[in-house]
Amino acid sequence: MRNSYLVCYDISDDKRLRRVFQIMRGWGDHLQLSVFECQLTRAELAELKGELGEVIHHEQDQVLFVDLGPAEGRGDRVITAIGRPYTSFDAPCYVV
Amino acid sequence: MGAPLPAESEREPAAGRTLPDYLPARMVNEYVYCPRLFFYEWVEGIFVESADTIEGKQQHRRVDREGAPMAAPGEAEGEWKTRSVTLSSERHRLIARIDLIEGEGRRVTPVDYKHGRPRETAAGLEAWPSDRTQLAVQALILRENGYECDEGIVFYQETRQRVRVAMTPELVEETLKAAREAWETARRGVMPPPLAGSPKCPGCSLHPVCLPDETNWLRGVGRDGDERQLSLFGEPVPRKPAMSEGGVRRLVSARTELRPAYLDTQGLRVGRSGDVLVVKDEDKVVQELRIHDLCQLNLMGNIQVTTQAVQALCEEGVPVCYFSRGGWFYGVTTGLVTKNVFLRQMQFRLAAEPWFCLRLGRQLVAGKIRNQRTMILRNHVEPDARLLAEMKRMAEVAVRAKSLEELLGLEGNAARLYFEAFGGLIKTGEGTDVPKVFRLDFHGRNRRPPRDAVNALLSLGYSLLAKDLTVTCYAVGFDPMMGFYHQPRFGRPALALDLMEPFRPLVVDSAVIQAINTRMITEKDFVQAGPAVVLKPEGRKAFYRAYEQRMDTLVTHPLFEYRVSYRRLLEIQARLLARYMEGEIGEYPVFVTR
Repeated sequence: MRNSYLVCYDISDDKRLRRVFQIMRGWGDHLQLSVFECQLTRAELAELKGELGEVIHHEQDQVLFVDLGPAEGRGDRVITAIGRPYTSFDAPCYVV
Repeated sequence: MGAPLPAESEREPAAGRTLPDYLPARMVNEYVYCPRLFFYEWVEGIFVESADTIEGKQQHRRVDREGAPMAAPGEAEGEWKTRSVTLSSERHRLIARIDLIEGEGRRVTPVDYKHGRPRETAAGLEAWPSDRTQLAVQALILRENGYECDEGIVFYQETRQRVRVAMTPELVEETLKAAREAWETARRGVMPPPLAGSPKCPGCSLHPVCLPDETNWLRGVGRDGDERQLSLFGEPVPRKPAMSEGGVRRLVSARTELRPAYLDTQGLRVGRSGDVLVVKDEDKVVQELRIHDLCQLNLMGNIQVTTQAVQALCEEGVPVCYFSRGGWFYGVTTGLVTKNVFLRQMQFRLAAEPWFCLRLGRQLVAGKIRNQRTMILRNHVEPDARLLAEMKRMAEVAVRAKSLEELLGLEGNAARLYFEAFGGLIKTGEGTDVPKVFRLDFHGRNRRPPRDAVNALLSLGYSLLAKDLTVTCYAVGFDPMMGFYHQPRFGRPALALDLMEPFRPLVVDSAVIQAINTRMITEKDFVQAGPAVVLKPEGRKAFYRAYEQRMDTLVTHPLFEYRVSYRRLLEIQARLLARYMEGEIGEYPVFVTR
């Protein structure tokens, strides 16, 4: 079971910021500057927190995890946008 | 016809099995928790991460930083401490990595860090039995190395509480007994049965591999743990045994969380950047795929992948499957994930037994015919009652077939009947006639090359299903090339083909019908090239979606009565075949829909 998370970060050092961005790219969709949307199982969330925990400065940086509930059947109402559109990927496979 | 599979207790320990020198304290803990879990982890080398194991590891990273070297017994004065010490006992062949040792002179107290919380009892907080045993092993080892130790401590990180464990003679006795049993289990090489209805199972990360409730149910063991007789030789598994009230808990999640990727644009290049695969067409990035989100990467035709990408995929356990442009399945690249050598040994031994091949073949063919019949029953405009009756009869005959040749004949005859009626499953909307390309040549299966659109789609679909079952075979620890009903032949994944028989109509034929009837694929997606009908690139891409949509569909398992996706089901069925081959259950329960 996966939950949707909004992950937002505030990193006070550019080098660490880039490393956090690199890690986040492996786990979710980049929505905006310093904001990712991730669909994670409990184990994946633990793994992500572990990876970030190794990189960030625990006194100067902050990463927020906002739990949006179960990813499946979440519907489109949880995240809405004005301005540029927000789209979520919902297909059984990737085809390129 | 040979003898039935020998019961577990009668099996000889597998020859040539070498055991490690020492049994780790952590494995004694696992043995006390669940002997089967111990067997999977220590003997078969299977480990599945869960949120708890990952969090535990991260917490351990801090503890594991090695401290000052440990003082020899009697050397240290006053109070001392040291972290992450590995010691062994020659006498009991045990080894332990001790998180923290607190000493006072010669007297020491081992401290073990645990991720969870202590057990709450009427008498107060207690360490869990398996944790107590692990500490007792550590104490025994410390004593053998010349220290005095009559107490240990478990530190539970979730509640940040220390729980003391006294080294009573009873605890020591119990621990040595558990260690002896663990050695004996590993030596015999026979997997212990699963726990019955235990509350430990839902929290155990290995339950999708172990399938405790499913295995017990098929063994005839109810939730309360009383064992019933295995079904007699040759008798089909009863549909609804008496103890089904307890039911089979759904421990396995309904769907796989990961998605397959199909790359079907000629000339694409796949590179790696961090944990992301970057797919490029010329120099333009056309797609980024997160490796964590993938369960397989399918390359259809001429697509280049960098070594860095392949390494990352192998490491993450994502297989790479190669196809020709036309959909011919060439092979798979997988990481070194399965160490389950014993299952392969059993597979090869049984593949040489004609009675076993026949017995499994009967189930597979009967299941396939029944599923084909169900397809017609459900989807045909006006199913022919005589045909349905004939197919039913054939499925019954298949269960009693005397030879593989007879089975092949039956399978062929049933397929001919089925495919003659198959045209009746195709309907494309009210009033509209079935487009020419979908009916022209469709009198039955034809291939190499397919002469009509339906056959072209079926061929591609079977190729994809063969791929999925080959991947499943690797994941479970089978050799996909060594089959039972399909005898080994050069370059043919015979076991994958065996397992796929009952799924052909349910997954592929159904996906084809769906794709045509819902106009996901239309006559514009094909071109005629001489005698052959070929799918255009856009049509192929649409079909991958149709196939995966079908794989993602939830179905009710006829025996366990929970709903799972076809993708998950393939794995469950392959694992049940392993259970059957290892003698745990009396019959392979072939998958049949109602």
